[in-house]
Amino acid sequence: MAAKVAVLVFPGTNSETETWRICRDVGLDARIVHWSQAATLPQFDAYVLPGGFAYEDRIRAGAVPAHDPMMDYVIEASQKGKLILGVCNGAQILLEAGLVPGTGPVRRPTAAFTHNGPVPHFVCKHVHLKLAVEPSRCAITAALAKNALIPAWAAHGQGRLAATPEHLREIMQGGHLAFVYAHADGTVNEAAVPNASALGCAGLTNREGNVLAIMPHPERDAWNYNHPDRRDTGDILAPSGGVKLYAALAEALNLA
Amino acid sequence: MSSRTVAIRLKIPDNEAYTALTALRRLGVDIARLERAEIWTFEDRGTEHDFVERVEGNETLFNPNKHELHLLEEGKPREGEAWIEELDAGEVAVRIADIAHGRRFVGWRLFSEGHTPADEATVRSATEKLLCNPAIERAIQ
Amino acid sequence: MPNFRVNGLSDDELKRAAAQAGLALRVDELRRIAERLGRDPSIVEVHAFDAQWSEHCSYKSSRHLLRKLPTEGPTVMQGPAEDAGILHLGEWNGEKWGVVIAHESHNHPSQVVPFEGAATGVGGIVRDVLCMGAEVIAVADPLRFGRVEDPQSHQRYVAQGVVDGIAAYGNAIGVPNIAGDLYFDERFDDNCLVNVVSLGLLKENEIIHSAAPSNSAGWDIVLVGKATDASGFGGAAFSSVTLDEEDQDANKGAVQVPDSFLKNVIMRASYAVFRYLRENKITAGFKDLGAGGIMGCTAELCSSGGFGAIIDLDDVNTAIKNLPPEVIAIGETQERLCWVLPGDVTPHVLRIYNDEFSLPQVARGACATVIGAVQSEKQYVMRHGNDIVMDVPIEFLTGSIRDELPIRPMSERKVTDPARKYVVGEHSVADLLPKVLAHRDICSREPLFVRYDGVVRGTTVIPRGYANAGVIAPVQGSPLGVALSVAGNPRYGKVDPVLAAQYAVLEAVRKVVAVGARPLGLTDCLNFGNPQNIEHYSEFAHAIDGLALAARELGTPYVSGNVSLYNESKTGNAIPASPIVACVGALQDVAAVITSPLKRPDSTLFLIGRPHNAAGGAVFAELVEQTGGPLAPIDYDRAAAEIAFFRAASDGGFLLSARSIGNGGLLAALCAMAFPTLERSAIGVRLTGPASWTGGVVGELEAYFGEGGGFVAETAQPDALETIASDGVDLIRIGQTQNAPSLALESSQFDLRELHRIWRAPLALVYP
Repeated sequence: MAAKVAVLVFPGTNSETETWRICRDVGLDARIVHWSQAATLPQFDAYVLPGGFAYEDRIRAGAVPAHDPMMDYVIEASQKGKLILGVCNGAQILLEAGLVPGTGPVRRPTAAFTHNGPVPHFVCKHVHLKLAVEPSRCAITAALAKNALIPAWAAHGQGRLAATPEHLREIMQGGHLAFVYAHADGTVNEAAVPNASALGCAGLTNREGNVLAIMPHPERDAWNYNHPDRRDTGDILAPSGGVKLYAALAEALNLA
Repeated sequence: MSSRTVAIRLKIPDNEAYTALTALRRLGVDIARLERAEIWTFEDRGTEHDFVERVEGNETLFNPNKHELHLLEEGKPREGEAWIEELDAGEVAVRIADIAHGRRFVGWRLFSEGHTPADEATVRSATEKLLCNPAIERAIQ
Repeated sequence: MPNFRVNGLSDDELKRAAAQAGLALRVDELRRIAERLGRDPSIVEVHAFDAQWSEHCSYKSSRHLLRKLPTEGPTVMQGPAEDAGILHLGEWNGEKWGVVIAHESHNHPSQVVPFEGAATGVGGIVRDVLCMGAEVIAVADPLRFGRVEDPQSHQRYVAQGVVDGIAAYGNAIGVPNIAGDLYFDERFDDNCLVNVVSLGLLKENEIIHSAAPSNSAGWDIVLVGKATDASGFGGAAFSSVTLDEEDQDANKGAVQVPDSFLKNVIMRASYAVFRYLRENKITAGFKDLGAGGIMGCTAELCSSGGFGAIIDLDDVNTAIKNLPPEVIAIGETQERLCWVLPGDVTPHVLRIYNDEFSLPQVARGACATVIGAVQSEKQYVMRHGNDIVMDVPIEFLTGSIRDELPIRPMSERKVTDPARKYVVGEHSVADLLPKVLAHRDICSREPLFVRYDGVVRGTTVIPRGYANAGVIAPVQGSPLGVALSVAGNPRYGKVDPVLAAQYAVLEAVRKVVAVGARPLGLTDCLNFGNPQNIEHYSEFAHAIDGLALAARELGTPYVSGNVSLYNESKTGNAIPASPIVACVGALQDVAAVITSPLKRPDSTLFLIGRPHNAAGGAVFAELVEQTGGPLAPIDYDRAAAEIAFFRAASDGGFLLSARSIGNGGLLAALCAMAFPTLERSAIGVRLTGPASWTGGVVGELEAYFGEGGGFVAETAQPDALETIASDGVDLIRIGQTQNAPSLALESSQFDLRELHRIWRAPLALVYP
């Protein structure tokens, strides 16, 4: 029996289709769960919060959806140890809900993905995420290789990690910094970061390692045709590098 | 040199204010109305009148087709209002004639029934529950 | 119900009364209305005719001219009769897929409130595609701004606000921006151009038409979306209305307010309605609201089906209490659509919008609600309170009207001396190339499009910046590809509107061909000055002839389009003639797509199309201060042969990379091909001397910078490529790629990294 994964749609979510597709392509029984179907959420094994502009990012990205009834179920599920992946807007919602880095109480955020720097505008750019913790630190990344490099598209206006110095220290010392931005060859430096994110952060995980929040979209570089440079690599419709993260999620669920 | 503060609001419907109002009500913050404004404080040399004219002359801040501007008597939040500022914002570069920087806040003004400004406890509840993320912002009441 | 007095007034009195009421209707039009109705029109009726007979709605100055455009062909699934056109994309798994395309302008609002004007422009074009029953899959934005050098200028504010608006709206609704262009000219200082194009996807048997279906007498008319306010009526609406406290925030201005959040939800709710209708094999009518508001949309929906309508304005969800009936009926509140549904289907559709997708919680007063019914009698009736405020013959309201405005014949056009030669003077290629690359119409557009989400939905194959056209693979599981390009050069428009129109078509088509796609069809947006001005109107009329000629020669029909007139400043300065064209193409397999970046060192570079005297309107001509020269006439036989050869070459897998030659000529195209390679192992270019490939017909500058068209291509099979070339095509070896970051010409050598820096810098000042 394939694991049942809910791909959540809040009012304003817009990346549900490609997220659902990649989850299905890696063998998960993925279902799109719409906000009016929130009551069906407890039956799922894992949850993916896709990208978009839930509530148009009004007030702050992720601020209003963090209080949506769907998040009550997600918070409950996370406390039960179920796996939760938030991508882009999904990541912002998880931070606003306090689930990631999870160093404070629920719905009391200790960090945020906020306006890009140096100039606060939306940035659409191909990037790479580099695993910055031991794979086993986070259940979703456990099946990845050490220092795994995942291609993705960054497409966000509020992707810069920001927190007080104490909380940033906590993030570092607690091993919450799951992914950093890197170049295609794996080099990590300031130039690889598209949004001035603190610590070069592209993704965070919580204490227990069952919740992962990443800003870039691996599902938008999940098939060979998604990057002009990969045109010549065999089957144009076959999965490409971005599928790795979702395959790792599937692996983690199959082992459960 | 005097400190001048302006509140610039949309005079066309403010969708963000509507979402904030409904979200706060769902969170149990009992308010009837909510106004959102961009609050700017500047150090300025000239008269009040000249200052307002110069602010109105900067299209990136003020477009008369969609904004209305109020010069605030005091450089602090009005009754029922909270100002939210990013922790690491500092001074923001913006040009008002020869002024080059100002401080920027988002002003949320809450009202109970009628035109009554919401009380302090309500405003604090609103900022704590939704309007301010203490990880990156501070709220001034 | 007070009437608008027409009968018994003199022409002067009537003219004054119309002006006082804010009407654009002329005296003769008002009298015609009174005569046809047999009485004075009501206030609502006079505003309805004012809107419906406006240039914007009626196309009265243009419809008869637009008839000259070719609109038929084997690629056409549906021509320009409705809000969007549809082209045959191809078959997959036994299903026939169509790509929907619509093209509009939102010029005037964007000049006043750039963010809202541009955002609502995207909103409107997306609705045009949605209402055909299609999933919205892409957008493009051809933009024209004035002088933006001064950071305090209004032009700079417009240029930034427009891009912010397009980004905010398109990104939020989750539609990738895959094409667009950008030009600057001082004649756009007071009149920016914001054109938007949108694509949709559907199966041929799933098209939903914008007409009440044939058996729909008695069916419900269902309004969906934002609560109606005073948008488009402004302050005039409030003279007789007392505003309640909760209406304080109501739209008191004429500004159209975007709500991309509401639109995002409406789109997804509508997709759910499409699924419901298809599963239950129900035919419905669906149309979006634009100019003319509820009246315009419902009247056209019903009259297109041969019906009349009864609308109850009291049933409309309004944002403000006590709105005057004419404001409810004709106001242009955004984010609204309208269904014609059988009565037993209505409750299901209402439930989808109101409950499942909770429209009322998304925006204040938003919902789906029944506002009237289709009727057999061909009268258009509106009720408000206890009054009938409108009761007119529907075909009189929506039928086409025509303004026969004077046109100066083509033979009387002022044409520059075609024999005029260019005096090159002391300008050298070494001196010019950096200036060409830094030119406002050539420099890198990345600072702009990086602000757009180009990859949402996961279907993007070629995002902006990688090729001449954007490409997506929108049919899940299938390698079918869709390519989209835009074109329309205002520098050419200033020289010769007719040829500029032809070049717009040719360029848009060549850009689609350059990525390996087969051109399917076109849209056009004609942005011109004042039709009451014989010069502007003549330019407009003749440009249409140019569009028609080029499209016929190239075999690409128009399936949709738009006209925007009155783009002139108060001093009467009109914009350059600006016919803007979009081209859609299809790829059988996106694996065969051709991108711009050079692929390997030591491959051969070919020109397809011999350089000719094509300096008129060119960037380099402006830089050597030789503007005003004529545009080169187009040899369509050659152009078609070049396109056919390119397609054969790309289909045969001979091409590694390629580019259509346009702004900045051959060298600008080669730089665009070399620049992306600088990030990894740089591939440069070494060209032989131009005399060897121009046959001495043109000088060095025209060879390198002339904008006469053609393609440049990279191949590793030069001999094989030459064997498939036919006689009608000039296929010319011009050099090689090389393993070094340099552009080596006969007379000079350039460091590509330095050129790249020069090319990247200018627009970053406007979009930091």
